[in-house]
Amino acid sequence: MTEILTAKKLAIKVILCLMVLVIVMGLCTSVGTQNISLKKVFTGPGDVPGANIDYEIFVVRLRRVILAALVGAALASSGVVLQAILRNPLADPYILGISSGAGLGAIIAILSGISWTFWGGSAVTAFAFAGALATVWLVWFIGHFSGKSQVTNLLLAGVVVNAFFSAVIMFLTSIAKSEQLRWTVYWLMGSIGDKEPLVLWISGVCILAGIICLFVVCYSLNVLTLGDEQARGLGINPTKTRLAAFGFAAFITAIAVSLSGLIGFIGLIVPHGVRLVFGPDHRQLLPVSAIIGAAFLVAADTLARTIFGQEQLPVGVITAIAGGPFFLILLAKYSRKVGWLK
Amino acid sequence: MSSINVKKLSFSYRPKEILLKNISFDVMPGAFLSIVGPNGAGKTTLLNLLCGLLRPQAGSITIDAALIESYSTKKLAQKVAVVRQEFVPVFDFTVTEVISMARAPYLGTFGFESKDDMKIVSEALELTETIQYARRPLAQLSGGERQRVFIARALAANSPILLLDEPTNFLDLKHQVGIYDLLKVAQLEKGKTIVTVTHDINLAAQYCDETLLLGAGGDYQYGCPKDVFSFEQIERVFGVSTFAGDVGEEKFFIPLGKFAKDRGQIKSKLDKD
Repeated sequence: MTEILTAKKLAIKVILCLMVLVIVMGLCTSVGTQNISLKKVFTGPGDVPGANIDYEIFVVRLRRVILAALVGAALASSGVVLQAILRNPLADPYILGISSGAGLGAIIAILSGISWTFWGGSAVTAFAFAGALATVWLVWFIGHFSGKSQVTNLLLAGVVVNAFFSAVIMFLTSIAKSEQLRWTVYWLMGSIGDKEPLVLWISGVCILAGIICLFVVCYSLNVLTLGDEQARGLGINPTKTRLAAFGFAAFITAIAVSLSGLIGFIGLIVPHGVRLVFGPDHRQLLPVSAIIGAAFLVAADTLARTIFGQEQLPVGVITAIAGGPFFLILLAKYSRKVGWLK
Repeated sequence: MSSINVKKLSFSYRPKEILLKNISFDVMPGAFLSIVGPNGAGKTTLLNLLCGLLRPQAGSITIDAALIESYSTKKLAQKVAVVRQEFVPVFDFTVTEVISMARAPYLGTFGFESKDDMKIVSEALELTETIQYARRPLAQLSGGERQRVFIARALAANSPILLLDEPTNFLDLKHQVGIYDLLKVAQLEKGKTIVTVTHDINLAAQYCDETLLLGAGGDYQYGCPKDVFSFEQIERVFGVSTFAGDVGEEKFFIPLGKFAKDRGQIKSKLDKD
């Protein structure tokens, strides 16, 4: 009769996508400016630190690859959810002020020279996380201040808060010393660095838990894209659904941003690309986008750290340069299927 | 089959405005009611009250003897399906995906449809003859086809009550009649209780068992279409003259504008009659 998504079909697609991700992560871990022997890697670290340099390089790369995968998954998932709850194909994880809030938090930490660490994370990470969450709360509060059209109000609140915090960031950047300025600009451009295993564990568990929670509201997101009145008529409470989706999306975005700075493009382009190929059903769109987003950022980061030898590019540059043409290819191939592109 | 009872219902958007005042009517199980009236009379507002989107400021609405406020959003969706004025979703869901969303109030945690759900969706696709474009994106359909899809979605909800807000807006004559035929089949074969807001007095007179004629300032008439619709009532409520004709028990009304051709001839015929 007709095509409809079943749990079995979804499981098959997710497993296939996960296999692609594992292959991409494996390849990217073995690639770098320093050649390593996998045979030596699997002999273990040795008794003395530095005894098996290939193993140590492999571990550092693996941590970086895992971090890139986590950040990519979080940003792509968040993009899917925000496009749904705002019913706006142009929405990305940063549209509601998370970027400027995290940026402001980071720049305050950099300028004030705080050097303490928090659960293995730097002060910049902690401040960026706090700034992102505080901004999200502020945007939600302002968005619901005047009541009725929550979607429009949220978007307007996000734009206003983004503009205001961006002005504050510009002001702080203008008074920063040269070394602080370099740090700030590099952070704002977004980059994947080496993080402590504890940070990876905590952020990994939080991001995966966040994505699972978002998956539970995916069917409600399908219905919510029809509009609030339609959703209510189908037994979905739009306000509660939007609050839950927004809360979890903001949480995982705040973690991603605090770990990697502002990496653009993934949260916008990956959901669109996946939607073009697989369709708009959020039960499928969310997990597939998360996996493809993870693979895409892992590949982009590998390019960023290898393309110019020892010199590393900010990964945000690669995501935009590589993602743009790739998206255009998908668009050319699948656009006849997609109504909103016409 | 389900019934709706409205008692002394009042509602307005502003304190000094009177939109709906002391309205009382009963929709019997399996009945077909039309809500008719000029723009701004409160027809869609009344529909929004009946589906629980708005709360009455005075009076009560009961569905199957339980106050509408006592239903949760999910329970109410299982009781009442609503077809709103035409819209196109932001993302490109197919016809089947849109219709299967009607099963939302019955799904489990992860929202996957069961075989029974899909059987109900298939039946709705067949009954509304939308199965031919089941795999096409909704945005690619014409207005008439989309309206059938929304009615299919309402039928797939398997709820005993259907509420429709101007279901024949923007449709040509064939599709207008087609939609009402479809609703009549749902009423007669499935025992649905149907309430439709409409501007079309003639279709309401032909198809509905009862009608509620809403006028300005809280004025209303309720009863059988042949009792409620009269030349005088239509002129009083809509402020426009009509040429009324009878065929058997049916009445038909043709509005007469200031510049209508042969208006004078028709008027003099009316005066003679």
